[in-house]
Amino acid sequence: MEKPGDHATESETLPHKSNDLENTNHSHESEHQSHNNDSTEKATPESESESESSQLSLTQVMEAVDDFIQSLSSSTDPLQEIPPAVEPFPETVDSLVSKMESSGLGRDETEDSAFIDAVNRISISVMRLRELNLDSTPVSSWLNRASSVQHHAVSLLDEEFRHLLDRSIENNNKKKNDHDESDNNDEREDAFPDFPPESIATLKKIAGAMISAGYETECCMSYETSRRHAFKEELSGMGYEGIVNNVEDVQRIPWESLQGEIASWISIVRRCSSVLLPGEISLCNAVLPEQDHAKIRKRLLTGFLSTVTIRFLDFSGAVVLTKRSSEKLFKFLDMYETLRELALAVEQSDSDLIHEIKLAQTRLGEAAVTIFGELENSIKTDIGRTPVPSGAVHPLTRYTMNYLKYACEYKDTLDQVFQHYEKAESDQTEPEPENQREDDEEYKTSAFARQMIRVMELLDANLEIKSALYRDPSLRSIFLMNNGRYILQKIKGSTEIRDLMGQAWTRKRSTELRQYHKSYQRETWGKVLQCMNQEGLQVNGKVSKTALKERFKIFNNMFDEIHKTQSTWIVNDEQMQSELRVSIAALVIPAYRSFFGRYKQHIDSGRHTDKYVKYQPEDIESVIDDLFDGNPASMGRKRT
Amino acid sequence: MLLSFRRDQVDSNAASHNNNMEAELDSFQRQVAEKFTDLNASSSGDDLLSLEWIGKLLDSFLCCQEEFRAIVFNHRSQISASSSPTNRLVSDYFERSIKALDVCNAIRDGVEQIRQWQKLSDIVISALDSRRANVGEGQLRRAKKALVDLAIGMLDEKDSTRLAHRNRSFGRAKDGHNRSMGQHLRSLSWSVSRSWSASKQLQALASNLTTPRQNDVGLAVPVYTMTSVLLFVMWVLVAAIPCQDRGLQVSFFVPRQFRWAAPVMSLHDKIVEESKRRDRKNCCGLLKEIGRIEKSSRVMNELIDSIHFPMSEEKESEVKQRVEELVEVHEALKNGLDPFERKVREVFHRIVRSRTESLDSLC
Repeated sequence: MEKPGDHATESETLPHKSNDLENTNHSHESEHQSHNNDSTEKATPESESESESSQLSLTQVMEAVDDFIQSLSSSTDPLQEIPPAVEPFPETVDSLVSKMESSGLGRDETEDSAFIDAVNRISISVMRLRELNLDSTPVSSWLNRASSVQHHAVSLLDEEFRHLLDRSIENNNKKKNDHDESDNNDEREDAFPDFPPESIATLKKIAGAMISAGYETECCMSYETSRRHAFKEELSGMGYEGIVNNVEDVQRIPWESLQGEIASWISIVRRCSSVLLPGEISLCNAVLPEQDHAKIRKRLLTGFLSTVTIRFLDFSGAVVLTKRSSEKLFKFLDMYETLRELALAVEQSDSDLIHEIKLAQTRLGEAAVTIFGELENSIKTDIGRTPVPSGAVHPLTRYTMNYLKYACEYKDTLDQVFQHYEKAESDQTEPEPENQREDDEEYKTSAFARQMIRVMELLDANLEIKSALYRDPSLRSIFLMNNGRYILQKIKGSTEIRDLMGQAWTRKRSTELRQYHKSYQRETWGKVLQCMNQEGLQVNGKVSKTALKERFKIFNNMFDEIHKTQSTWIVNDEQMQSELRVSIAALVIPAYRSFFGRYKQHIDSGRHTDKYVKYQPEDIESVIDDLFDGNPASMGRKRT
Repeated sequence: MLLSFRRDQVDSNAASHNNNMEAELDSFQRQVAEKFTDLNASSSGDDLLSLEWIGKLLDSFLCCQEEFRAIVFNHRSQISASSSPTNRLVSDYFERSIKALDVCNAIRDGVEQIRQWQKLSDIVISALDSRRANVGEGQLRRAKKALVDLAIGMLDEKDSTRLAHRNRSFGRAKDGHNRSMGQHLRSLSWSVSRSWSASKQLQALASNLTTPRQNDVGLAVPVYTMTSVLLFVMWVLVAAIPCQDRGLQVSFFVPRQFRWAAPVMSLHDKIVEESKRRDRKNCCGLLKEIGRIEKSSRVMNELIDSIHFPMSEEKESEVKQRVEELVEVHEALKNGLDPFERKVREVFHRIVRSRTESLDSLC
């Protein structure tokens, strides 16, 4: 048990000052220092006499309290009275509280520390005494006073806590205004919440003191309220209040406007994921760093994260309920990716929240699958009976390939989405037989690649049907070449699609193109070449003039016909157009040149040459250059 | 009636199909009736509008919803012709169900508010925990502060705005501090816009709901049934849980011809009855647990006001007693609130799922 004498000795031997309480303002005392500030020392004769405990410095009193607390746990005899040095402690602390009430915390770190240390001590004293549940009246009376003061003190701490936490909001707003003119926004970007380290230190001390005092609930409520308010303000500042949140109202917004809202939502949620939420998590860890407080911290964080993020899911949930249409696919995927980032940011949260985010993603994914499926439907139902004039690239081909190209920019996300879908499907239906595509690793592993290929195959089948609408087999070939070429170029033009479709698939398409080319040549030019054949021109060793004239006539007619018809045909791809012309020229010109060279003389009878020999070898080239222009040819004679 | 079914049927087995459909629709009516009879039977005294009871109501909704979904699925060929009246009926239901989603989200805010009250009552309980030493003045003050915040927090919306204008805290008055904790808690409504109104939403849910005639064919009756169930469930949630612009004025009436009408109307009447009771007229939510907290905390508040130090033994034991009562309510809330919130969320998800599936098959 504590001996009163000890305290009396202490108070006599240590130098004392009067007005200690006022002087704590100016003193540099901390727990570890015990020297006094000379300028404030006032040794008055009266203070050296009896009942000196009121003249003790704060440090000394607190040391006394420490000893007192120690003695409570170690002694066996029930405490009957409070040691004199400790007796006025509640009132001492109370004056401190009043002082702090008017001056506020956060101005002088030493002062704050001293205050909080005092509060801690009174809390511990109260708690220990309450545990002991003593009968003694002086003890009860002291305990009562102490607990009143404790409440007063902790209430102040609570208010200061909230005040400090709120102050950052004002600072943030001030900073925002200041930074409006400056170019460098990067620093501000990364500084949320914006607390100076001194504030954090104070917050940490207050939180610790409140929890030690048993006021954990108040501490957490104040923290939550303040941070939620701050977060809400921050979101407002980013324009979040403008985003329609109401599920019903979202359904009514036309897509053009809704896109804008989605874009805002995406940028806000991303900023939350990358800056704001990590900031809150750091803040919480900084204010409650102790291992002992881990559970409190987790509960606080989880509650906060849930409340603020669930709202984001409301919007995405509302958007995904709107009518499905193909233009929405990419925005949905953007939202999907944004939610993925969000899930990472709230990893530390409880499973309910993460489950909700995943669910929201799944909805978006399912919508994406449905919309993508619409692409397949639109291909299947494109069954016009009118062929595209001039055999050009069909609008369906353009639409499909552009859509797929754009989709490939999201190939990883789409892969995730389709994997999820395939898994869900396979749980319900029987597995389809695997296609043999050994050399295409991408195909085997990528769910999205499988979808792409399905779409391509549907497109191919559709084009096949469309090509059959052409009665002219040459035009059919040109049509298939145009569309095939367009598809191939689109694929080659993008690394993503090319890798996705695989080498073998690309090679196969090139081969097909070559085959169409060959078909065309055969269909159109086979007969032309045939009429320049030497066979049958000689009768009994001599060139038959009749046969020759006939041959020239046939050639001219065919050639003219081809000129007239095929000039109106279109080959969209410039390179392919030139290749075609070159290949035709390579086929026809040498043949004609040799035919012309060999046989022209035989009908060189002066007057009627022109009637039969319509074309000079040079003329052939200019006619060929007219082909596939899409313009009706001027059939007038060209003279070089 | 058989003839008009035949016109709609695609199947060649018209007759047996008709019988199946009839049986299906009949079974649905029966199921709904059973569920609500059950709920009505377990709605005496303290059970009605308790967390547990509302939980059962939500479970019943989920069951009915499932069966309705199956019916819609089985009739999808009938529905998919976009000009058919059945198509219009069913899409109308799913459009309506979207309004319910906003109610679910608003309820979430209400649950959060109740959680805050839970924390305040937690403070009261730990302050007045007399298992250790006797309660000191400081602890009393602590409890009193929490009780005042709780009372403010539980005010009906209209009263709280009046209070906000009158209340100014002393001490360093900064803008953010003019409000007490209780008022702070109210201002953190996240999920709905400031202009959203629960009662208007209910009215919209109920609007243009035409009662089908006795022998209306096709899906008119199941659609009407499901809509009524949906409306009733949302109405109960709004009645029980604090939410923005609560109001029970929406007229809800189901004609007797339906098997489930009697139990549903009985429950409806009981709840209206409850809302008119003197002590619950101005409360912010009819949830039983809210009433109990309100009562316990009010009693405690009065008790504390009547205490002078040193506390007499009589007062001490009274405090102990009141604390025990408060602990009971607190525990009930603590155990019931999370599962309840999850159920509401489940309802939300089911409505979404159901609508998405059906719409996909409707186009």
